[in-house]
Amino acid sequence: MPFTQFTNLDFDQIKTEIKGYLRSNSNFTDFDFEGSNFSVLIDTLAYNTYINAFNANLAVNESFLDAATVRENVVSLARNIGYVPRSKSAAKAQVTFSVPTSSSSRTLTLNAGLVAVGPFDNTSYRFSIPENVTSVIRNGVAVFGTADEPIEILQGTVLTKQFLVNNSVDQRFILDNPNIDASTIRTYVKGVNDTGLGREFAKIDNILHINKNSEIYLIQEISDERYELLFGDGYFGKKLENNSVITVRYIITDGESGNGPNTFDFQGNLVDENGIRTTPTGSIPITVVQRAINGGEIENVSSIKYFAPRLYSAQYRAVTSRDYEAIISSIYPNTESVAVVGGEELVPPQFGTVQISIKPKNGSYISDFDKQNILNKLKKYSIAGINQKIIDLKVLYVELDSTIYYDISKISNASDLKTRITSALTTYSKDIDMNRFGGRFKYSKILQLIDRVDSAVTSNITKVIIRRDMKALLNQFAQYELCFGNRFHINPIGYNIKSTGFTISGSNDIVYLTDVPNKDVNGNLDGSGKGTVSAIKKTDNDQLQVAQRAVGTVDYTKGEILLNTINITSTQANNAIVEVQAFPDSNDVIGLKDLYLSLDVSSSRINTIKDVIASGEDISGVSFARDYYTSSYSNGDLERK
Amino acid sequence: MSTRRISRAFKDISFSFDPHPVTKDLPVLVNERAIIRSVRNIVETIPTERFFNSTLGSDIRRSLFEFVDIGTALVIEEQITNSVQFYEPRIDNLKVEVDPQPDNNSFNCNVFFDIVGLDIPTTNFSFILEATR
Repeated sequence: MPFTQFTNLDFDQIKTEIKGYLRSNSNFTDFDFEGSNFSVLIDTLAYNTYINAFNANLAVNESFLDAATVRENVVSLARNIGYVPRSKSAAKAQVTFSVPTSSSSRTLTLNAGLVAVGPFDNTSYRFSIPENVTSVIRNGVAVFGTADEPIEILQGTVLTKQFLVNNSVDQRFILDNPNIDASTIRTYVKGVNDTGLGREFAKIDNILHINKNSEIYLIQEISDERYELLFGDGYFGKKLENNSVITVRYIITDGESGNGPNTFDFQGNLVDENGIRTTPTGSIPITVVQRAINGGEIENVSSIKYFAPRLYSAQYRAVTSRDYEAIISSIYPNTESVAVVGGEELVPPQFGTVQISIKPKNGSYISDFDKQNILNKLKKYSIAGINQKIIDLKVLYVELDSTIYYDISKISNASDLKTRITSALTTYSKDIDMNRFGGRFKYSKILQLIDRVDSAVTSNITKVIIRRDMKALLNQFAQYELCFGNRFHINPIGYNIKSTGFTISGSNDIVYLTDVPNKDVNGNLDGSGKGTVSAIKKTDNDQLQVAQRAVGTVDYTKGEILLNTINITSTQANNAIVEVQAFPDSNDVIGLKDLYLSLDVSSSRINTIKDVIASGEDISGVSFARDYYTSSYSNGDLERK
Repeated sequence: MSTRRISRAFKDISFSFDPHPVTKDLPVLVNERAIIRSVRNIVETIPTERFFNSTLGSDIRRSLFEFVDIGTALVIEEQITNSVQFYEPRIDNLKVEVDPQPDNNSFNCNVFFDIVGLDIPTTNFSFILEATR
């Protein structure tokens, strides 16, 4: 038998191959017996082959970005295509404070370093600033930050490292700490004839527009999540003089754990205009404009593998929607998901516009300040003539109305079963399939999931509801448009659209939205796929009557509700929200265009009913059909409950 | 485990690696000498010593530090019998005799067996097991 099988990676398979070879090519016969001397030789040979195959496999795997698993290798491969993984990011809080002082100095400077300590979750976190902040003293008080322009403090500790440049050796400039927030790295180079810290060098991420005199440096991640600084070589970027002193200041942070502090104790170090330390004459209460948010962990390996090729293919130009996805994630590290829709796809089309929705990691909305920052940074990458707009996240909630039958003989407690089902649904709601733009809610998966929670579950009848939260502009006349992006189910007699209560100007009655599909003269659906939305109210004896006819229209086919000009004065739900729900025509719900799909377990209804047929209480099914019956269709209520 | 097969000639390599004085060939062990060597290898191999075959061998070393008496001898006897029966399919009618030698702090082992497929009388070999440390 020829020895041609090279694909075996398993020790036993390799050994069998060697034996097969010997069987046809050797004078020896005892290789087949484990006790023989020859078996020892075969073992050694097979072991050697196995180790070589294993090493070759490992080395080849680690040589490609797709297959590599060791962070150092992934980072190194990403580096080859110009990608610097996102570092940890410090949680940032915005504060203002005033310092009473008896100093005769004109200014007061808050030194870079520790500013305040903020407690959260039984831990005290240090908050610092990477650069000095100076304020003018007026009437014995120096004011740091205003409500409009607060001071940003970052969670972490400021560290400084110095290097003496020695051009005669192959020198590397490595920052030894992991946990560095790379955006806080400030680098100063003091030439032989300079004073103070020297000139500040700028951090860049590509060598476009760089010449031999540019005072720049690049950073790259090396082993153990540390960073190395790379300076110019005299062709691209200024070459460092011999004996220059490099001072690097940076913040090491706790990342995501630093999110949350909302109160701070001042711990800063103040100096006057002569650099002499100044003690405040009174206490310094800190006013919090924005609690600490946006702290994040270092980019993980799977994210590097995903974004590195995309940022490379974007080539620092935002052209396709994938380019935007990669570039926005790199300029705004707090991004969880990005949806980009070209203006030509909008209704009506808005040519030359790009609509961007961003789901941040913590929370649902990004602040106006962050939006402006992102837009400013995007300008560098975008094509001339294209106007980007960042729009607020539109969340399409999916709610379930689930009735679960269980075999009473298999569980001790129905509420425990309900808790387990809720917890399974909550876990599923965090699934990546759902929580993203372009996500899809898969109905069959949910049915399976509920059935498999416990062997006691005999069946479930689950109805799907889609919901949008309409943010009302209170006491203002406004038109509202709610896109669901999914076709609505049409019940010819109505009850398709339901809402929570709200009041409209001119009446104190709480009204609800409801719909009536358009019909022809014979009373059948006219096939237009449209309908009228009206406002209804409850009378004293709980009857419902129309409060205002035709307040808007509904397009069942597009899944769109338009409310004509209306003045909402208050809402039953908190935060001026009117919850509007519909029944999707297909139980698989998608997040269309800029809709962010989210399974709302807290608003879902889970009912548990004992399965009397399974438990043997009802053999004929008569009492089941009479007392334990559940409809697979929606109820006839007009209001959302 | 190896497949059971009947062969009229067993030929194994010798680990002495002394070349034949005339032909300069590597030395070979044939028939009963090959099998005796194999049985000794199995007995002397410590379980987990072989790569990916952790059960091969016998655990007699552990018994060598026990009392040198008939009880320990029976344990060793059983260990040798089990391992040889399991890993050496070329032998049959295996009989192991372990004789404790308390004065020398050792066990005298005799192994008797027939070789499957070879028309030769019952073969035996003996060795002494002794704790060396």
